[in-house]
Amino acid sequence: MTTRKLTGLLFASPWIVSFLVFWLFPLLYSLVLGFTDYRLMSSSYHWVGFDNFIALFSDATFMSSLVHTFVFVLGTIPVTTVVALALALLVERQFPGRTLFRSGFFMPSITSMIVIALVFTNLYSRGGYIYLLAEMLGISPPENGFLLSNSTALLSIMAMDIWMSVGYYMLLFLAGLKSIPKELYEAAEVAGAGSWRKFRSITLPLLKPVALFILVINTIKSFQVFVEIFVMTKGKYGTSTAVFFIYETGLNKFEFGYASAAAYVLFLIIAIFSLAQFRLFRQRSIW
Amino acid sequence: MKHILFLSIIALALLLSCSGGEQTVNGKATLEMWQFWTDPAIRPTIEQMVADFESQNPDIKVNLTDLTWANGHEKIVMAFSSNTAPDIVELGSDWVPEFSTAGKLADITADVLPDTAQFYGWTPGIHDNTIYAMPWILGTRVLYVNKTLMKRAGYEDNFVPLNWPQLKEMCYKIDSLGKDIYGFGSNAAEKHRLYKKFLPFFWANRARIMSRDRSFSTIASDRGYAALLYYKDLCDSTGMVDTQRRLEDAFLDGKIGAVISGDWLLKRIHNEQIEIDLATSLIPGPQYPGPSFVGGEYLAISEQCQHKAAALKFVRFITNTENQLRFCRANFSANPSSKTAADDSFFVETPHFQTFVKQLGLSRMPVIDEHWVYVEDIIETALEKALYQGAPPAQSLYEAKLEIEKLYKE
Repeated sequence: MTTRKLTGLLFASPWIVSFLVFWLFPLLYSLVLGFTDYRLMSSSYHWVGFDNFIALFSDATFMSSLVHTFVFVLGTIPVTTVVALALALLVERQFPGRTLFRSGFFMPSITSMIVIALVFTNLYSRGGYIYLLAEMLGISPPENGFLLSNSTALLSIMAMDIWMSVGYYMLLFLAGLKSIPKELYEAAEVAGAGSWRKFRSITLPLLKPVALFILVINTIKSFQVFVEIFVMTKGKYGTSTAVFFIYETGLNKFEFGYASAAAYVLFLIIAIFSLAQFRLFRQRSIW
Repeated sequence: MKHILFLSIIALALLLSCSGGEQTVNGKATLEMWQFWTDPAIRPTIEQMVADFESQNPDIKVNLTDLTWANGHEKIVMAFSSNTAPDIVELGSDWVPEFSTAGKLADITADVLPDTAQFYGWTPGIHDNTIYAMPWILGTRVLYVNKTLMKRAGYEDNFVPLNWPQLKEMCYKIDSLGKDIYGFGSNAAEKHRLYKKFLPFFWANRARIMSRDRSFSTIASDRGYAALLYYKDLCDSTGMVDTQRRLEDAFLDGKIGAVISGDWLLKRIHNEQIEIDLATSLIPGPQYPGPSFVGGEYLAISEQCQHKAAALKFVRFITNTENQLRFCRANFSANPSSKTAADDSFFVETPHFQTFVKQLGLSRMPVIDEHWVYVEDIIETALEKALYQGAPPAQSLYEAKLEIEKLYKE
């Protein structure tokens, strides 16, 4: 190896070392731990093969946390995507105060999740503004507030999550809309296409790459929902999700082996969903 | 090549500078202590105690490191697991057993055994007849009653409910005062909180979670079932269900007649100068006042500590009567672990503190072992199902019994 290459390597070594020590090693080590009964405070551990993975699928708590995660993912992603697209189409038009609206929609995305979760905890509680609004609209809210009821707690967190993340995805769609050549719309108008036809035949197909990106990152993010659950309900009232289960198992019960196995099950699920989305979009691509 | 050599030397120097700190500096034994008291109201008092200790013991230096309740437990576990634990660590009462049973804490029995009668709250600090942690500041809960509501409900000014029928009747009467008035503050399914509110009723009815030899669970006994039925009826009929903080807010706003809480509520009333006509009483039992739940802060010494004698000296210093009094005065705490400190006029003259001191003598904590984190989970799930998910109480308790027994058999 030449001196020049060695010097380059030396300068890159802080990143390489931190990548190896803080990323790759924990990633592989946690995979190995998934096959052991390692508990943080115990001095020894044993190889248990696939026992942890088998146990997970007969663990009612893990299975219910997976169900809650799927409800969260399938409930938030379509709504977030559609609303974000609608908002992007809306704020792309010229009207007074357009910048204000754009900023307003985007604002929640740059606010701390913990702050938002705390604010919404108050809004959803008995006597909170959302609670009072529901009463005014004749919708009878749960007696103890939205977050202290099994039927509304998860839905309430999902609604907050949609409100919070829609602005970010709106911005991505907006960038996608800007990249569509105006000539295509002009040509379509000459050919007599109406607004709906232009949207269906030009806007939607050309937004597919952006939509795919949004779907993939939103899927990964939604499967990893944790902070809002931790802050708002601590996993109670039917809101325990997969990552919350991993947190509880790993950092409350310190069963690192079992928690690692659960983390890899979640990793596999996210990978399968992401791959499926790539395939789906590739098959239906217009190019 | 010269550059590489130069950079390598710098890297090596950096690595060497990251090595562990020395335990003895300039002939002084240096102790590292991790603690949770970061509130500006109490931190200077802790620092002053450390300064006083150092001036009395010039050969010992104490370094304080602050932890937060948000992630302090995780940091302590990581430190003990990686053999980098501090010499002295403040532990919550339900954390002590996970470290003592794993052999991470130093045995302090010989030194503290003669003085055990002078302190409350030894249970979590003892494992296999060995003492591993010293009780410092405890925290029990008592019944707070809004006297304005109580008097509106037809009671005399000096009334306090002493038993279950009196508590239920008072809560019913207060609850019927109006739509937004509730008799009792009923804890929602909050993690680490709900079971602490139910267990006093459970214990008062002489129910136990486990048999004495811990071979089977007695949680679903007739006594346990009767306690749950009483608590559920109280909550269903008169309770406002919410989180502890919001219950306390509602209590202070005059919307709840009675709520179970700790001395932090007195501190809040004191600090925020809240006007409220208040009574405090011991937790009512079936016939007479019964036990309450008590937790608290414990000081333990790491098994790996190289200056155990010095560390123990510091622990004994900070938990002595005088320093517990200093602490309680500064922090407006009503629960010293030192019985001598509890006899001080401060606890007699400060309104309502005597209720805490008397309740402390009656209070209990569950027998915590290495399974407790799971048992707590099981109890809370059973309570959540019975109280808030419509499951029959008997079934919830029976399922909890089976799960607890399965846990101990495994």
